[in-house]
Amino acid sequence: MILEFIASLTVIALTGMVPRAIPVIAASNGELVDQSAGVLNLGVEGMMLIGTVVGFFTDFYTGNLILAFLLAGLAGMCLSLLHAVAAVSLKADQVVSGTAIWFIGWGLSGVIYRALFGKILVPPTINSIPHLSLPILSSIPIIGPIIFGQDPVAYFIILTVVAVHYFLFHTQPGLNLRTVGEDPRTAEEMGVNPKRYRIYAIMFGGLMAGIGGAYLTIAITGTFYYDLTGGMGFIAVALISFGKWKPFRTFFGCLVFGAVFVVFLTIQNYYPSIPYQFFQMWPYLAILVILSGVSAKSGGPAALGKPYEKRD
Amino acid sequence: MARYARALSTLFFFLALCLSSLLFFLFGVAPLEGLIDLIRLGFLSSNGLIATIGEAVPLIIIAAGLSVPFTARVWNIGAQGQFVMGSILATWIGLELSNFLPPIIVVIFALLSAFLGGAAWIIPPILMRIYRGTNEIIATLMMNFVAVFLLYYLLRGPMEGAVGVSTHEPMSDLLPSTVMLPSLVHGANLGVGLIIALLVAFGLFLLLRYTRLGYELRIIGQSAEAARYAGISIERDVLLASILSGGIAGIAGMVEVYGATRVLLPQIFSDITTSYGYVGIPVALIASLNPMAIVLSAIFFSGIITGAYGMQLELGIPIDVVTSVYGIIMFLAPLGFYVSFARRKISKVRDR
Repeated sequence: MILEFIASLTVIALTGMVPRAIPVIAASNGELVDQSAGVLNLGVEGMMLIGTVVGFFTDFYTGNLILAFLLAGLAGMCLSLLHAVAAVSLKADQVVSGTAIWFIGWGLSGVIYRALFGKILVPPTINSIPHLSLPILSSIPIIGPIIFGQDPVAYFIILTVVAVHYFLFHTQPGLNLRTVGEDPRTAEEMGVNPKRYRIYAIMFGGLMAGIGGAYLTIAITGTFYYDLTGGMGFIAVALISFGKWKPFRTFFGCLVFGAVFVVFLTIQNYYPSIPYQFFQMWPYLAILVILSGVSAKSGGPAALGKPYEKRD
Repeated sequence: MARYARALSTLFFFLALCLSSLLFFLFGVAPLEGLIDLIRLGFLSSNGLIATIGEAVPLIIIAAGLSVPFTARVWNIGAQGQFVMGSILATWIGLELSNFLPPIIVVIFALLSAFLGGAAWIIPPILMRIYRGTNEIIATLMMNFVAVFLLYYLLRGPMEGAVGVSTHEPMSDLLPSTVMLPSLVHGANLGVGLIIALLVAFGLFLLLRYTRLGYELRIIGQSAEAARYAGISIERDVLLASILSGGIAGIAGMVEVYGATRVLLPQIFSDITTSYGYVGIPVALIASLNPMAIVLSAIFFSGIITGAYGMQLELGIPIDVVTSVYGIIMFLAPLGFYVSFARRKISKVRDR
């Protein structure tokens, strides 16, 4: 009985974790590049929020999925440019500037929603992305739907994780970028322009956060409501230190987070006597437990969060 | 350099004003007129001014509390959760004890428990920062979500009031009127609540400027390395500053319930215009972390909120639209100040 329960829960966790994890995977993957270049962008949450609203409405009005994700990514990138100006060009405190980005995204996403839809109580909905169904492969029990039954955007986002890993650890620009994150002065002596690398990294982070946000509305909820990321951007940042700044480890952390999320959503139905709010607060407590389990002091880029000053 | 920074913040401020004007235009109000109305209704009408100062009270308390750890560059983003926990404990104490204890004792107990509630909510994340090097921004933020879900549970469970059951709105029972903080205007925090806020701001001003702790926090904020070299116990100071700010955010929750709402409602915490714990962050930063200046910046922010609500009543503009305008002003104007503030800190360090 208990074994059966655990088995069915495992299946639910495995099949449900990927869609839940995808927005966090996208956002943390972008932020990982950010941080590898030594830039801490705490505005992920705000950039995701902008992505949710831009992606949703582009899809709603045009029905063009590619355009929706593209514009959402661009919107996230535009917002991240503010961080680039503040944190790289003006050498402002990155924590403060990141917090400002979060607030701006938070406010603007509400503004855009109200501007386009005014005051309606029931938000409009869109159809979610069609899932792939390969004839034989996706009919394999359990593994089939997990590996072969996702939607194309999910595959694209997972592919970016592989690409980022390859870029960071197997190419010269990737090495340069990591050097900028470890020791920008040495990088500059090597003939690398730290500022340029940091700005590109920030833009990539914004792009991925925007896409992740769009995935939330387009593929998961199918509708938009106010402030719907619920701390997911911060969770993405937290999972990077869990992943010790390695793309695959971080990816794995995001999957575990997705699984935990789905399990608590499911158990909730089995135990109606326990107030559902306790299940809702669990993902956040889980992040706290994870954070206290890993020491953030080890493994991070040495120059993380420090503005680069040229020696005069 | 300072002049450059000031020019930049002015630029951002005008950008914020232009964008908001554009929004008014989008919703059919002449741009400049919209801004003038906002200011008129928020600051220049007597009703508006009463509401503005009343709403500024929790903001002053929270932002002043935040200025203490912010001075040491410890970023407590969890004031919202600490605010919620303070209000929960204070309301609970008030409902339980006011039957058999004199009101003044109940208020004192409520104040103490609110401080403890807020402090309890920041101690775990700050210990994680001290002992594990965890990013305190993420840890304190996670605690906010836990607090809000706890509030919803309590208002649907143990603390659910009789009125809430019939109206399906989650809310607690009303506090007896005897324990409410005396106020000049009913329902607005214009009395003891305001005095508490000013005392907190003044006390923290003195603490930051004239005490050893304040001095050490400033050094830690400028360079943790230098602080360690000078023999300052960073861990102790950071813990102390954080507990102080968490507890004070808790007190803001108590003052909000005992001075204005009289009842525990989730609406006080879920609406962005009344999320004092979040709004308190730019309020503190705009004032360059000076608790006396925070009084003014809190009144400025709260005036924009009141003006927005006033526009809804007078011009029939839906509050969501005006909330958005408020959002833009609030979120863009600080950026310039943020940048200039952060720059000033950095150039100070470099001058050493």
